[in-house]
Amino acid sequence: MSALNRHILQSQPSAARRWEAAAVWLFRSATYVILLCGALVFGTIVFKGSKTVFTTTAPFINVAFFTEAPESLYVFEYQGQKREMGDREFRAFKAQHPDASNVKSESYVYSAGGIFPCIVGTVLLVLGSMFIALTLGVSAAVYLSEYATQGRVVTAIRLAILNLAGVPSIVFGLFGLGLFVIYLDWNVSLIAGWFTLALMVLPVVITASEESLKSVPKGFREGSLALGATKWQTIRKNVLPYALPGILTSSILGIARVAGETAPIMFTAAYVVRDKLPWEGLTSVSDFFFQGVMALPYHIYVVSSKIPQNEYTERVQYGTAFVFLMIVATIATSSILLRNKLRNRYKW
Amino acid sequence: MDSLRPAPNSDFLVNKKRVRVLGLSFDDAVKIFFGGNALVSVIVLALITYFLFQEGFGFFGQNHRNLLTYRQAGLEYVDYIRTQESAHTALTRYLSDLRLRQFNYATLEKNISPSAANESLVAFDDFAALYGDAVEPLRGLVSELTEQSTAIKTKFLVAEDKRVERQQLTTEGKIAEAAAVKIETVDFALEVKALTGTLPAYKELAAEFAKKLDAALVTAPAMPTPELKNRLERFRQLNSDFIATFPATTRSLETWDYTRAVPWYQAFSAFLFGREWLTASFWQDWYGIVPLFMGSLMVSLVALLLAVPMGVGAAIYVNQIASAAEQRFIKPCIEFISAIPSVVLGFFGIAVLGQLLRWLSQQDALAWVPGFPFSERLNILTAGCLLALIAVPTIFTLAEDALQNVPKAFKEASFALGATRLQTIIKIVVPASLSGIISAVLLGLGRVIGETMVVLLCAGNRIAIPDFTAGLAVVTQPVHTMTGIIAQEMGEVVRGSIHYRALFVVGLGLFFLSLAINFLAQKIVNKYRISIG
Repeated sequence: MSALNRHILQSQPSAARRWEAAAVWLFRSATYVILLCGALVFGTIVFKGSKTVFTTTAPFINVAFFTEAPESLYVFEYQGQKREMGDREFRAFKAQHPDASNVKSESYVYSAGGIFPCIVGTVLLVLGSMFIALTLGVSAAVYLSEYATQGRVVTAIRLAILNLAGVPSIVFGLFGLGLFVIYLDWNVSLIAGWFTLALMVLPVVITASEESLKSVPKGFREGSLALGATKWQTIRKNVLPYALPGILTSSILGIARVAGETAPIMFTAAYVVRDKLPWEGLTSVSDFFFQGVMALPYHIYVVSSKIPQNEYTERVQYGTAFVFLMIVATIATSSILLRNKLRNRYKW
Repeated sequence: MDSLRPAPNSDFLVNKKRVRVLGLSFDDAVKIFFGGNALVSVIVLALITYFLFQEGFGFFGQNHRNLLTYRQAGLEYVDYIRTQESAHTALTRYLSDLRLRQFNYATLEKNISPSAANESLVAFDDFAALYGDAVEPLRGLVSELTEQSTAIKTKFLVAEDKRVERQQLTTEGKIAEAAAVKIETVDFALEVKALTGTLPAYKELAAEFAKKLDAALVTAPAMPTPELKNRLERFRQLNSDFIATFPATTRSLETWDYTRAVPWYQAFSAFLFGREWLTASFWQDWYGIVPLFMGSLMVSLVALLLAVPMGVGAAIYVNQIASAAEQRFIKPCIEFISAIPSVVLGFFGIAVLGQLLRWLSQQDALAWVPGFPFSERLNILTAGCLLALIAVPTIFTLAEDALQNVPKAFKEASFALGATRLQTIIKIVVPASLSGIISAVLLGLGRVIGETMVVLLCAGNRIAIPDFTAGLAVVTQPVHTMTGIIAQEMGEVVRGSIHYRALFVVGLGLFFLSLAINFLAQKIVNKYRISIG
């Protein structure tokens, strides 16, 4: 009956249609499985990490975790009670209770205290390397989009940028080790890490900057030149100011990459452990640049591979991963949001 | 007229005198500054190549010396006999496997108690012991020779060190101290004679060994089932094959000559085709890239197998099917996934995914899957799954771009001819953007092969060529990778040592591999791009 009532232009059920529906569902499920996997990783780390980072009592944030350096955790039984203490606390406790000095304890490295030096190190690494990368990258992009004319040199530069983008990060690490650490004799230091990371992220910055520069309408330049401004005046006054927001937002994604990489800083800038903060114990200004630092990604690598997994070490593992993921996620999200906002702002 | 005269301080006038330094105006200088910065990427690429070569290239010379020492100190000679010994060990493993099968047959199918089953196997155990013990005299010879040749090697290495020390002192101008450095010259001819002198003894031992093996085999008890009988027959065959190799071993021992030169290309071929990466061993270090390369390849293959359908499927869905609102939601989400740092993913693999997969593999309902159940939590599969999550955003973004670039007219024409949406996608849109999709997959491969932290944390870090005889179950074996080995061992090696240089050569290989993948991706995009219009 129903087949008769159907209008002739209404779609007919057919094999092709069923195939299509099945295929659409296949593609759709592929998409959502990806999102689900991402959410699973993100959710697990947020869920387990928030136990370390947040507390149930005011101020609701585990302040010690953010302000202290990592230390060993001691677990022991004293007077029938199971206790957990950080290294310093344990020593003070033993001094207070002489009878506790021989108590049998299990120790777990890096599992107590906090991750303050790692956060500081990562921030320093990101700031320095982004400064270098932006200086080099934006200048290169200005040349490529404003000055360069098609030729062999420009082809070579573009090819180099394209290939540099595909070089594995560990190779950048080896390169940094060979050039900065050994050849220039900078040792394992902030400055070696800065340059290694900056060169690694350079292709991203150049590509993003060039795109923003290209999106400034030609009329802006022509108008300026017609009024008698020189090329540099045109670029400075009429091109860069309009491209700058775009350059910065796109480069934020580069920051996320710099902050997230472990392999390049492994041999160039990161220490497994360092008891001094970067501004402590400096005798001259140059000392600041030539010191190694602790860094969040490297710390995650150390705590997840070098110490066993159990309920005591898990806290610092998930906590560190959570903080790190949050930092990177905030950077990435702000970049995505800013870009969407910017897209609507300038309409030429 | 006066009003037309320019104000004296206006700086925009054309007739203003330009300051020139070294013949360059300010504008020229600015241009050169920018151009110089643009050249940085070219320079960096050149520097990467240069420094990898500079640090790594000495490896081949050192490896050549390494191989030469291996021969001159007689290690090679001892390894001939050692190979024989380990072949025998493999045979005894076969026997213990056979025993296990008999035991299982007795306990599981005939319901005999384990102790009774063990009792019934006494005859077999005697036979196995007889067979296993036959190697003892040979083993004694090997360990004796091992000590001797290690001593020669050590003596030689010490002499080399002294020679370096003297040279260093000489270049520093301390002639007297340099002369005081005692260098013992190693007379290989004399030292090696002690090794080769054991050849008659070896011949005797080997003949006896073969006799003992055959004698032991006669005592083998009968097998209860045809299947086990076949296995014993197979063992007999293997045994006679093994004994048949004896003359060849003897011949290579007889013809072995420590003075025979190691051809220069062997330093390269030993690296490129070497099946062993063995460092800091007391006997002999081997630097063969094959196990590492195979590890990288297997992990990448698994990752791509998962990531390509997902990434391309998602790209098709988002670009061709999804509504605008869905697009606005999905695209940033996938971009967000690409921002998850790899070390966090690696940690997730260690803490969650490894355990999860192992637990899944031990479920009875999934026992039919090849390779299940497995016991190693960190293996190719774990690393591959996580790497897939890294490759997906790359593949998705680039493939989506490629689909976006297909002219609208293609699609419209297809619809006008009455094709359905699916037909249009499969027959028109995807083929038109195929070059872009393939290059997206290639760039995804480049991303995966160069990834370090995930494989370092989750691939299991066992340096061995995956055992392909296991079929699909090969993906549940742990491996080590090229990126992982650099990250793991670079922190511990002595600068300038052969091991250090070997790691740089691995990095060099990785570098050229990534360049090749990039080159191929560009080539494909440029060559097969359809002309639009």
